[in-house]
Amino acid sequence: MLRTTLAGLVAHRLRLLLTSLAITLGVGFISGTFVLTDTIEQGFRQLFTADADKVAVAVTPKDEDIPGDVLAKLKALPGVAGAQGLVRGTAPLLDKSGRAAGSTATSGISVATGPLDRTIYVSGKAPGGPGEAVLDENTATTRQFEVGDTVTVLDVAEKRRQFTLVGVIDVGVDQNLAFTGAVGFDTATALEMTGAKGYHEVDLAAAAGVSPETLKKTVSEALGRTYTIRTGEELAQKLALDSNVQLDYLVLVLLLFGCVAMFVAALVIYNTFNILVAQRTREMALLRCIGATRGQVFRSILLESVVVGLISSALGLLVGLGLGALALSALSRFDAPVPSDATIALTPRTIVLGLVVGLLVTVVAAVLPARGATRVAPIAALRSQVEEQTFRAGLARSISAGLLLAGGLGLTAVAIWVLDGDIGLLTAMGGGAVFFLGVIVIGPVLISPLSAFAGWVPRKVFGVPGRLAVDNSRRNPKRAATTTVALTIGVTLMTLISVITTSTRETVVGSLDEQFPVDFMITAQYGREDGRPLLPSEVPAKLRALPEVGLVAELRQVDHGGVTVGSLPDGAAFRPEVTSGSLAALGPGTVALADDQAKNLGVRVGDTVPLDTTEAGRVDLKVVAVLADGDFNQALPYTVTLADFEKYYGVVGPARVYVKAKDPAAVDASRRAVESALVAYPTAQLSSAAEVRGEFDEAFDMMFTIFAALLGLAILISLLGIANTLSLSVHERTRESALLRALGLTRPQLRGMLSIEALVLGLVGAMVGVVIGVAFGWAALQTIPNETVFVVPVGQVLLYLVLSALAGVLAAVLPARRAANASIVGSLASS
Amino acid sequence: MTMTTDVRAAVVARGLSKTYGQGDAAVHALRGIDVSFATGAFTAIMGPSGSGKSTLMHCLAGLDTVSSGHVHIGDADITTLSDKQLTLLRRERIGFVFQAFNLLPTLTAEQNIRLPLEIAGRQADQVLMDRVVETVGLRDRLSHKPSQLSGGQQQRVAVARALVSKPQVIFADEPTGNLDSRSGAEVLSFLRRSVRELGQTIVMVTHDPVAASYADRVVFLRDGLLVSEVTQPTPQSVHDMLLKLEA
Ligand SMILES: Nc1ncnc2c1ncn2[C@@H]1O[C@H](COP(=O)(O)OP(=O)(O)OP(=O)(O)O)[C@@H](O)[C@H]1O
Ligand SMILES: [Mg+2]
Repeated sequence: MLRTTLAGLVAHRLRLLLTSLAITLGVGFISGTFVLTDTIEQGFRQLFTADADKVAVAVTPKDEDIPGDVLAKLKALPGVAGAQGLVRGTAPLLDKSGRAAGSTATSGISVATGPLDRTIYVSGKAPGGPGEAVLDENTATTRQFEVGDTVTVLDVAEKRRQFTLVGVIDVGVDQNLAFTGAVGFDTATALEMTGAKGYHEVDLAAAAGVSPETLKKTVSEALGRTYTIRTGEELAQKLALDSNVQLDYLVLVLLLFGCVAMFVAALVIYNTFNILVAQRTREMALLRCIGATRGQVFRSILLESVVVGLISSALGLLVGLGLGALALSALSRFDAPVPSDATIALTPRTIVLGLVVGLLVTVVAAVLPARGATRVAPIAALRSQVEEQTFRAGLARSISAGLLLAGGLGLTAVAIWVLDGDIGLLTAMGGGAVFFLGVIVIGPVLISPLSAFAGWVPRKVFGVPGRLAVDNSRRNPKRAATTTVALTIGVTLMTLISVITTSTRETVVGSLDEQFPVDFMITAQYGREDGRPLLPSEVPAKLRALPEVGLVAELRQVDHGGVTVGSLPDGAAFRPEVTSGSLAALGPGTVALADDQAKNLGVRVGDTVPLDTTEAGRVDLKVVAVLADGDFNQALPYTVTLADFEKYYGVVGPARVYVKAKDPAAVDASRRAVESALVAYPTAQLSSAAEVRGEFDEAFDMMFTIFAALLGLAILISLLGIANTLSLSVHERTRESALLRALGLTRPQLRGMLSIEALVLGLVGAMVGVVIGVAFGWAALQTIPNETVFVVPVGQVLLYLVLSALAGVLAAVLPARRAANASIVGSLASS
Repeated sequence: MTMTTDVRAAVVARGLSKTYGQGDAAVHALRGIDVSFATGAFTAIMGPSGSGKSTLMHCLAGLDTVSSGHVHIGDADITTLSDKQLTLLRRERIGFVFQAFNLLPTLTAEQNIRLPLEIAGRQADQVLMDRVVETVGLRDRLSHKPSQLSGGQQQRVAVARALVSKPQVIFADEPTGNLDSRSGAEVLSFLRRSVRELGQTIVMVTHDPVAASYADRVVFLRDGLLVSEVTQPTPQSVHDMLLKLEA
C-alpha cells in the first residue's frame, strides 16, 4: 500500500504542487513572523547584554529624578570604581529654517565618557565641552546636519544656544529617543539645557574584586527603597522585557493574519484532496476490488497528506527565513528602531512550530476527503462514467447553517445595541466569524443562484461558451463553494478594512472641518513640558496686529483637579452643537458642559456644578448649555468664557490659536505674514487644514497598505485554490472538452469558456465577501462610542469585484491553455 | 477489386497514411489508403482490432493530422487547413457519434441536440428538428439530463444531434459498441432511415457484422490498408469476409 501511495504521489505531483504552494506560503508567513521577531529579540538581547557588561549596578528613580547629592553619595560608596549620572529631558533642536524640528521636541541627553560610556558613534566623537553637541543619526540625516555644522538648540528658558556638532550617534533601540530624536551634551551642559533637577539613571562601575551582586547590596543598604537598584544583568533583562512587550503585540497581529492565511490554505487543501479522491474513485474501487480494506484506503490518503504536508512545511520554513529577512531589512530601511545587523535567527521553536502547523493543517484538511474515499464501493470500478455530483442541502447542514448564521447575527446585534467599547468591537468581530462559518456551511446552496446572477451578463454576451461556463461553474456546488469561500475570506477582510478606514477617515476629516473653520491653527510643540504644551500668551495679540489676518481666536485650556476646562474661543465659527440650553447665555458664573460630563454628574441645564480652580478656589457654576459629543476638541468637559477662565486659572498661554486670512483669496500672503510673526517663537507650530488632512490621509493610507499587504497572502493562496480547482476540473472534463472541440468549438472558445468559469467563480466569491464585509464593517463602526459616519467606499468595493473577477481569469490561464492544447483524439481516448 | 470513384463523393481520401512515433517505435497505422464515400450512402468500415479503423476515421474527420496524403470533404482539402479552419469546417459540415461519452452532462437532451447549431450560431431547422426528434422517439425525454437516460437513448440523442445540423457527413465510431442488441438495432435502423429518408451520408466504424449489414457498403481494413469491400452486405457475407481476412 505504501508503494501504491508513493507512486500515486509521483503521478499527481503536478496537481499536488499548487496545494503544497498554499501550505508553503501559509507556513512561510507564520514562520517568517517568528524569524523576524526572534531576530529582533535576539538583536535586542545582544545589545543589552553588551551594555550590561559595562555597568555593574544601575540605579533608577521610582518617580522624581535622582538628585546630585545622591550621585555624590553613590560615588563615595565602598566598591564603587565610578559613577555616571544620565540626564534626559527636552532640548528642542531648531532645523535649518529656524523652526523647532518635528512636532515633538528633541530629547536632550547627557553623553557619558569613560568606562561607563555606552554610546555608539556613527561618526565624530563625544562632546568635549559646553560648546559641543552630538545628534542622533536619524535627525542628522533628515535635518541635514553634518559633523562640523553649527546647530541651534533651545534651552529651558527657550533661549537659542549654539553648539558645534562634533559627532553623530546611534540611539540604537531606545524607542523614545528614536521617536523624538536626541541631541547630546556633556553632563553639565545637559543639566543646564534641559533644566533637569537630577538624573534619570545612575550607572556604577565596580572596583576590582567586587561582584555586581555585592555592590547591589551595598547600594541598597545606602539608598533604601526610594530607588530601583539592578545589576547590569538585571537591567539588560528588564530592557529586553520592555522591548518584548512591543514585540508581542507585533507577533499577535502578524499571527492573526498568518492564521487567516493558514485557514484559507486549509480550505484549498481540503478541496484538492476532495477532488483528487473523486477523480480516483475508480482507482480506489479497483484497489478495493483486489482486496484493499477501507482502513488501507484511508491510511493511504492520509499518508499522502502527511508527505505533502511535511515537504511543503519544510519549504515554508525556507520561505519564512526569506520573508523574515526581507521584513527586517524593510523595517530598518524605514528607520524603525530594530537591531539592523542582527543575524537571522531560526530557532528550534520556529522549526517545530512551522512543521507542526503545516503538517497538522494538511492532515486535518485531508481527513474528510480520506473518509469519503473509504466509502467508494468496489463496484464503482466497473462504472464507465463518473457520476455527476448532485447536491441537496441535508437537514443537518440546514440546521447547523441556520444556527451559525443566527448566532453570528445575534452576537453582533448584542455587540451593537448592548455592549460598547473594545468588548463590543471584539464581540461584533466574533459574531462576524461565526456568521462566516455559517456562510461556509450554507455555501453550496448559495452557489447556484449566485453564479446564475454573476453569470447573467457572461451568459448573454459570450454565447455558447458563456452558457456552458456558467453551467460548469455551478455544476459541483460543494467544490465551487469551497473554492470561492477561500477568496471570500480575503475579500471580506479587505472590504471590512476599507469600510472602517474610509469611514474613520471621513469622520476625522469631517471633524477636521469643524476643527478648522479657519485657515490655520497654531499649537505648541509637544514634549517640552509635562502636561499640555502651551503657546506664549502674547502670540494672539501679535497676530491680531497683522494687517493680513482677519479673525484670531484662542482656546485656553487647563487640566486641573482631574477635569479639563476650556475657554470659548470668540467667533461664530467656534460654536459647537448644543443639545440643550443655549451658548448665548454663557456669561460670568456659568458653564457649558459636554454631554458626557453632564450625564456623569447627573445634571442638566439650570443646575449648579462645583469646579476647583487654581485662582478662585472652589466656585459654583450654573449650567447654561449641554454640548453635543462627537467632535474631537470643541466639547471639552467644561467650557467657560475667556474672562471667567482668566479669573479661575490666571493668565496662561493659549493651547491653540486659530487664524483666518482677512482676504480669503490671499491665504498664502497671510500665511507668510503669520510665519514671520512666529519667527520669535520657534516652538510654535503652524498648520493648515490641508496639511493636517494630508497627514491623516498619509497615516490612513499607510495603515491600509500594510493591512492589504498582509491580507494579500491569503488572497494569493485563494487564487492558487481557484487555479487548482480549475485545473483539476479541466482534467476531469478532458473528454468533454474534446467532444466540444470535435463539435466545432475553437481553441480560443474553449479557453474563453474556462476563463469565464473562473471569472464567475471569482465574482461570486467577491460578491459574498463584499456584502459581508460591508455589513460587518457597519457593525464594527456601531460599536465605536464616538459618533462615526458610515461610508461605503463604492469605488474600492467595485474595484475588489473587478479585481477578483480578473484574478479568477488569471488563475485560469494555465489550466485553460492546457485544455485548449490537448489533442482531441488523445482526449477522446482517455478514460 | 475496383476502387469506387464517385463524382458525387462526400468524402475522398487519396494516398492517406498515418505513422505514430518515430524510428524503431514507429507504428504505421495507415499505409496509403485511397477511398471515397458516396453522398447519401451508409458505409461501414470493418477490420480486425488494431487495423486502423479509428485512425482512418479521425483522419477523415479532421480530428487528427495525417502523415501524408489528402482528404477532401466536399470541395475542401482538409489536410491543408489550419486548426481554426478545421474547427469551423467540423462545425459546418461534419457530425459525430462516438462510442461513449457523447453528451455534455450539464445539458438536457434537447440542449445537447441543439449544441452544434448554437456553437455555429445557426438557427435550427424546426421542421427537421421535429422530424428527427419524432424519428428518434425521444419527444418525452427532451428535458432529461444524460444521466437520466439509458445508454441506447443517449446514443439516439447523439445521433439526433449529428442529424439536425444537416452535416455533409456523419462519422460514427462504434456507435453501438456499448449497447445491447436491441438498443443497438434501434440506433442502427435509425441511422439507416436517416440515410434513406433524409439523404444523409454516414461513415460508421464497427466490429459487429450485424451492425455492418445495416450499411449500403462495407470496406475492410487490415494492417492499415484497404483490402476489400462488400456492397449490399448481409451479416453472413460480412462474417465470411472477416473470417477470410483473419485467416
Ligand atoms: N496515439 C497512438 N500512438 C501510437 N500508436 C497508436 C496510436 N493510436 C493508435 N495507434 C496504433 O495504430 C494502430 C491502429 O489503431 P486504431 O485505433 O486505428 O485501430 P482500430 O482498428 O480502431 O482498433 P480497434 O478495433 O481495437 O478499435 C494500432 O496498431 C494502434 O496501436
Ligand atoms: Mg477503434
